[in-house]
Amino acid sequence: MNPNILLILGLVAISNTFDTARELFLKSAINGLDAESPRNIRSLIKFISELLRKRRVWLGFLCSILSLLFYLLVLSKADLNFAFSLDSMHYIFIAASAKLILKEKVGASRWFGTLFVVIGIILVTLS
Amino acid sequence: MFRKRLTLKILLFLILSDILETFIQFCFKKSTIPVTGVSVTNLADAFAFIKTVSVSPFLWLGICTVLVIFVIWSTILSKIDLSVAVPVASFSYILVPLCSIIFLKETISPLRWVGIFFILSGILLTSLSSKEKINES
Repeated sequence: MNPNILLILGLVAISNTFDTARELFLKSAINGLDAESPRNIRSLIKFISELLRKRRVWLGFLCSILSLLFYLLVLSKADLNFAFSLDSMHYIFIAASAKLILKEKVGASRWFGTLFVVIGIILVTLS
Repeated sequence: MFRKRLTLKILLFLILSDILETFIQFCFKKSTIPVTGVSVTNLADAFAFIKTVSVSPFLWLGICTVLVIFVIWSTILSKIDLSVAVPVASFSYILVPLCSIIFLKETISPLRWVGIFFILSGILLTSLSSKEKINES
């Protein structure tokens, strides 16, 4: 296999790891709020200001920036259609980390879906 | 659990979010064209890379569109369930390759289309399983 493809796969994996970390930070920040989901503009502003006071939200932003930088590095080395297809790797990471870290219940059809994404990524990489 | 209907207005918003997602990807790709194939092995390279990319108007256009899509997506999700929204939104997995062929002159082999089809089916299965969870609770 072309070593460049392995490098690109690795960089996509790093970018998607930051994506996943962001989702976990945001989800755990929101889980930690006792506020109800916002109904009107006033409660929305309260909701957002409470979120912005959480350090995890800012860590999430930082992860977004790092993820974007690695994705741009991928795009400088690969075709857009290749990079974008591989970017679906975060579906795998998120399913696994929701199960392992957030202890969410992941059902059979979700694992099945994740398996399809894995097969798809392998095919795209081989093509 | 509420089951909200997919109205024509929401469908149009979803299609808009697909088109914007494709536009974002196109912008990001365009922003990296000046650094095509540049190797980044140390911090100095990384800063040079960031410097070149960050002066590209395409990068900032893409980032602004990310913020717009965030607002549109939040609106959509306040109106319909995620299990309905995601299948329509994942249409971008077809739209981005098509845009790559038309505007970036990339080529896509049949095997890659099969791979894309698998990824798409995987996302559909994943998103439909959130309905399952709602029915259980």
